[in-house]
Amino acid sequence: MPRHSLLFLAILPLLGAACAPKIKEARESNPLPAGVDTAQNEIGRRGGVFIDSTPGEPSTFNPLVSEDATSSGFISLFLDSLVRNNAVTQEVEPGLATRWEIAPDHKTFTFHLRPGVCWSDGHPFSADDVVFTFQAIYDTRYPNRAAFDLSVDGKKFTVEKIDDLTVRLTTPEIYAPFLETVGGVGLLPRHELEPAFRDGSLLKAWNVSIAQKEPRRLLATGAFRLRSYQPAERIVFEANPHYWRADSQGVRLPYVDYLVTKLVKDANASTLAFATGQTDAEGLSPDNVAWIDRYAKRYGFSVFNRGPSPNTGFIWFNQNPGRDTSGKPFVPPHKLAWFTDRRFRQAISHGIDRDGLVRGVLFGRGQPLWGPETPANKKWYNPNVTQYPYDPARSRALLAQAGFQMGSDQKLRDRAGNVVEFTLNTNQENQLRANMATAFKENMRDLGITVNLSFLDFGTLVGKIQDSYDYEAGMLGLTGGGDPAGGISVFSSKGRLHQWHPNQKTPATPWEARIDQLMSDQLHTLDYPTRKKYFDEVQKIMSDETPYIYLVTANAYVGLKDRWKNIRIPPLGSLVWNLDELWTPLLTP
Amino acid sequence: MTTFILRRLASLLPMLLAVTLLVFGLMSLAPGDFLTPVKAQRDINPALIAELQKSFGLDRPWYEQYALWLGNVLHLDFGYSWTYKVPVAQLIAQRAPATILLSLTSLLLAWTLAIPLAVLAAARPGGWIDRATSAAAYFALAIPEFFLALLAVWMAARTGWFPIGGLTSLDHDFLSPSARVLDIAYHLILPTLVLGLGGVAGTLRVLRANVLDVLQAEYITAARAKGLSEKVVLFRHVLRNALNPLLSTIGYALAGLLSGSLLVENVMNYPGLGRLVYEAFIREDQFVVLGSVVVGCSLLIIGNLISDLALAWSDPRVRYGR
Repeated sequence: MPRHSLLFLAILPLLGAACAPKIKEARESNPLPAGVDTAQNEIGRRGGVFIDSTPGEPSTFNPLVSEDATSSGFISLFLDSLVRNNAVTQEVEPGLATRWEIAPDHKTFTFHLRPGVCWSDGHPFSADDVVFTFQAIYDTRYPNRAAFDLSVDGKKFTVEKIDDLTVRLTTPEIYAPFLETVGGVGLLPRHELEPAFRDGSLLKAWNVSIAQKEPRRLLATGAFRLRSYQPAERIVFEANPHYWRADSQGVRLPYVDYLVTKLVKDANASTLAFATGQTDAEGLSPDNVAWIDRYAKRYGFSVFNRGPSPNTGFIWFNQNPGRDTSGKPFVPPHKLAWFTDRRFRQAISHGIDRDGLVRGVLFGRGQPLWGPETPANKKWYNPNVTQYPYDPARSRALLAQAGFQMGSDQKLRDRAGNVVEFTLNTNQENQLRANMATAFKENMRDLGITVNLSFLDFGTLVGKIQDSYDYEAGMLGLTGGGDPAGGISVFSSKGRLHQWHPNQKTPATPWEARIDQLMSDQLHTLDYPTRKKYFDEVQKIMSDETPYIYLVTANAYVGLKDRWKNIRIPPLGSLVWNLDELWTPLLTP
Repeated sequence: MTTFILRRLASLLPMLLAVTLLVFGLMSLAPGDFLTPVKAQRDINPALIAELQKSFGLDRPWYEQYALWLGNVLHLDFGYSWTYKVPVAQLIAQRAPATILLSLTSLLLAWTLAIPLAVLAAARPGGWIDRATSAAAYFALAIPEFFLALLAVWMAARTGWFPIGGLTSLDHDFLSPSARVLDIAYHLILPTLVLGLGGVAGTLRVLRANVLDVLQAEYITAARAKGLSEKVVLFRHVLRNALNPLLSTIGYALAGLLSGSLLVENVMNYPGLGRLVYEAFIREDQFVVLGSVVVGCSLLIIGNLISDLALAWSDPRVRYGR
């Protein structure tokens, strides 16, 4: 018996070799649609399998249910929208609509659909699908995220079918991010989902169980359609034989035959899969770049620096003047007086050695951050915000102006003689953030300020910030980028994520009132320069008043196998946003 | 006998009630809830959060939520997963086969290795087989499963002899049926070894002691005196009597079928229930957690029942009151 199992062990490596990928299936061929979109890319060759990995698991394939980036990412592979966002230029391009007209009232949009487009089952795509999609989104039986994104002050858009290939959408007010928002709405097949819509089970349609058993029922207009889904293992997409784009020689895209995504446990496992040559592409965090780069030659990949990421990191003080149910103030009054004093916040900001943070925590792979947007958001970033370079002398001067005095014991005291001391809360799961908090504590000690660090579970931290408000200072990050409309809950004083003082009935300060006004104004014009001017001012006020003391932004890195051609790396979002255009001369990985 | 079985099954109810109550209470004490990650996203409307809270029942006190859940369970409805929008029973059924497969292979490994080794070790106490198996068993018992799993993953990554996790290869869908079976077998080797090794050691130690006990019995001396060969004595007479206590461990093995591999599955990226339950805990997807707790408890009690019955069947001295 033991000898037998040893023999078995010995032949195993051979078995493994026999299982090397040799995927070959003929692709279904259909005539191109009349309104085919001709891609302006380098001509490629069909074939190949693109392999990537993702931490976690899609929770659904139904866009009405999806609330997480993983699920939405998979859905966007097979469901296209009226328009698409070019990730490199950050401009809106034609999608399932070839063109659109905006009426002079700036509220009425007429979309002309691409003629001849079919769903992946061959059923024609038409205006009925568009009308059905909006009907499903607005139905109160199906609470979903899109219903809120696609309304202005709680009022819905109206959608009418003009003819089979024309739809008209009307917004109740002028709504600035209209095209971007509509670009995010994956259109649903009416002929497939109407029965579920009628009997009230639409949210249960296209769930993970159906994806596993009947993947073909997830009809696609996008470049890919679902081939198989194995929970906790992988998702296999195959080229959609009815896709509406072709290259200039009339070869239907996508070039790749299959797209395989390994589902792994966490981000570390995903990074490891790439570093050992198992996957084709991976987003890398700055602390992983150095060691992964060492394997680049062996596995034939390169690591690219995408420049600053859209992620912001910041510290803020709780400026909430309210009291809890027992009548105790959230923040002790003398501390609230420090936190609401702009000079105090500016002094703290000047006391932070951001270059040191970049060097020490990010290994030089990042840059200081002064405002709510990072340079990654090319379209909206304002470079001319107020900066607070590391300058302890200036900090001390500002603190002295605000009435703080350094005692002989090297401790800072306010006018009433209270020692300046506060507790900074941050979440324990993020190691880079924890390191930054420690560095911040050191910087503050130089100013005579004692900072106590409290590392909390993410859930507890969110509870403190959003429900109980019983904390002094917090450190978190937000993913910025995209349209300013996405930041309303942060900037507007009514906002839920206006963390230093959320859910205000009326703005507590004149500058918050001004930001409210600007955020509302930018939302009600379609003119980009005007909107940019308003949002620039918002960024300037945020930096002047520093309710958020911005710290640093890490650079974003991606690794990609060298065998892929037609790669265009965008500053934001998915690395392979143009997956339909990628091709490879080397078919095996 | 029937009353005995019924009584045991009836004891399942208070136990399930207590355990689910405990789990539910603990989960509601834990900070945050299922919607916490949603709340931290900047472009989600508060009205949507309120609506979701209402539809999940998260706006009510925990005992009300528990009572509602219990009411549904009486109609055999274990609720649905908030994450996946799929009934919990369906979700568990989707993931269970992989876990059961792994548990069975590791149980098989434990028994096929441990039984002959234990008998051989006990046949010559202090002999080289005994000393070697004892040393190996202590070593195996001393290494925690998760650490062994880490070592296995590291070894697989270093040598490339084994896959670094999962149950199937990337091109599994495209393989012929026989190649698929081989593919799964190949992926099962490492997890089976990791999970089975502790079992081998434990079974080995228990069985060796039993065999030594039985060897002292008078009927063994009688068997030897009859002139039976040592092989027949050991494997027919000694082993059959020594196995009785092991039957009572079947119950635990059955309970472990679904829960025992939680750590190993998570370390080795194995697509079974362990990962589902772990993720559900982290996300506070409470009905999935409760569903798996109910399944685990039921299996433990039913498993113990089965081993009691098996013992009665194999050992005429054990009889349960009618």
